[in-house]
Amino acid sequence: MITSMDRLVAAIRGEPSDRIPIFCNLIDQGAIELGLEPEEYFSRGDLVAEAQLRLREKYGHDNVWSLFYVGKEAELLGCQKIKFASDGPPNVEDFVIRSWAQIPELKVPADITQHEAFTETARCLEILKREIGGKVPLCAYITSTMTLPALLMGMDRWMELLFLGPPDLTQLLLEKCHEFFVKEVAAYRAGGADVIVYSNPFGSVDFVPMSFFLERSLPWIERDIAAIGTEGVVYYCGMASLNRTIPKVLERTGIGVYYLSPMDDITQGTALVGGRGLTCGVVNDIALIDWTPEEIDHEVARMIAAGKPSGKFLFGTGVMPRAIPERNIRALMDAALRHGRHEALTA
Amino acid sequence: MLNELITKYNEALIDTDRERALNVVRAALDDGISPEAIVFEVVLPAMDRMIMSVSEGFEANVAQHFITAQISNAVTNEMLERFTAPTETRGRIVIGNSQGDLHALGKRIVIGCLRARMIEVIDLGTNVPPEKFVSAAVKHDAPIIAISSMMVHTARGPNGALKVRELLHAHGLEDRIKIIVGGAPYRFDHTLWQTVKADGWAENAVAAARLVEDMLSEVAR
Repeated sequence: MITSMDRLVAAIRGEPSDRIPIFCNLIDQGAIELGLEPEEYFSRGDLVAEAQLRLREKYGHDNVWSLFYVGKEAELLGCQKIKFASDGPPNVEDFVIRSWAQIPELKVPADITQHEAFTETARCLEILKREIGGKVPLCAYITSTMTLPALLMGMDRWMELLFLGPPDLTQLLLEKCHEFFVKEVAAYRAGGADVIVYSNPFGSVDFVPMSFFLERSLPWIERDIAAIGTEGVVYYCGMASLNRTIPKVLERTGIGVYYLSPMDDITQGTALVGGRGLTCGVVNDIALIDWTPEEIDHEVARMIAAGKPSGKFLFGTGVMPRAIPERNIRALMDAALRHGRHEALTA
Repeated sequence: MLNELITKYNEALIDTDRERALNVVRAALDDGISPEAIVFEVVLPAMDRMIMSVSEGFEANVAQHFITAQISNAVTNEMLERFTAPTETRGRIVIGNSQGDLHALGKRIVIGCLRARMIEVIDLGTNVPPEKFVSAAVKHDAPIIAISSMMVHTARGPNGALKVRELLHAHGLEDRIKIIVGGAPYRFDHTLWQTVKADGWAENAVAAARLVEDMLSEVAR
């Protein structure tokens, strides 16, 4: 029997399988699945693991997550307050860096695996590894060096420092964030994560000018990837488009998986990757909230028709908003499973 | 000389180089170009150019919008002090992030663009309760409430624009006060502004400033 991991590996290598892999990123849905308020749900790694397993059983997608919420990274660096919402993802409420003067004081934990804020993540990873390790790709979400300061001081203040502030202070913060990034990836891999989703809006020219990308973002991407290796790494720009930066990233880092934005043209994306890696077509899961079953089927069919002929294609979602009705998640998965079949093998 | 100034200023914006933009403007002043010409023929058209960027096929990204807003605001403030005749504000709005939303970047860009256009802005900050939007608009006699939301639940949820609309309706204020919205979820779903019962939305912060200007002109008529 073909496992989800077999399917992913086949897609990466361009080898035959029963269908394309499907990544459905259900994070906030875990609390709903277990009938818990988010604050209680996210306080325990065993609950997060249980919900991930149940959701995968329910919808039949090919991945599970060790991600609780993005603010976990800020907690590892000293954030004391997370704002939980009953209808959406938790957010950083207390910024670790409130003034530039605090940057030199920022402490990177010596060993993330021993940090209190990592305890429940480690527990979640342990359960998932035990239950589905080697059979289902276990994903970790890691914020890139250049994006991490936004979680520590707010995106606006980070942009202010990055573009208008003293270069030595910017460099110091980036060095600390890089040190954390490398340690964090190591901690997740030690816990059993197979897939490292490398999140970096600064790797998209929706976010920064091409000149800035080439001169500032790309060197940090190279440094990040050189430090952790390309194994299991997925290049993702936080729903910003990446088609225009794919060639340079591929050439300079060798990353083999590209998680497009819903704004990206899939045919163009697969052509840019050009058989040298896996391209992931990503559905617009904000519009998905209100789509009819017919609209969902039509859009999924369109996306898969654009990507599947490349031979190395994955169908994916963004971080699915909690507001998506269950019937629409089912309709999305049904359509992806149906349109994603490789007919020859299925027959 | 003005054309050269426009070119140099726009290049500095595209390169997100604030110091260069400010130096270009200061040099122009030294060369005898009036502060009025700098604001109305250089700064504001440069912002408009950002709006046209997509259709004209050149890139305009979040960083450029952010830096453009900061630079435009800084230059306009500096030039206003040198205007030969005092200028009147072109209107007033209240702005904030919807309740539960702590993402200030988009709002800050909009504020910079609005102030550069000499529109008075009452900034209510982030995580603003709907009641506060309405009471602030009434208190400051602002005909527009601008609500920024970077997350789906803060855009669509019951305590965002939907609740502000409900309150305006309950207090008979809908004729006097309009709601505009913006933020990432609206870019991924171009009908969402109608779902949350807003009167308008804009794709980006620079376009938002233009929308506010148009709406204020309508109110004035």
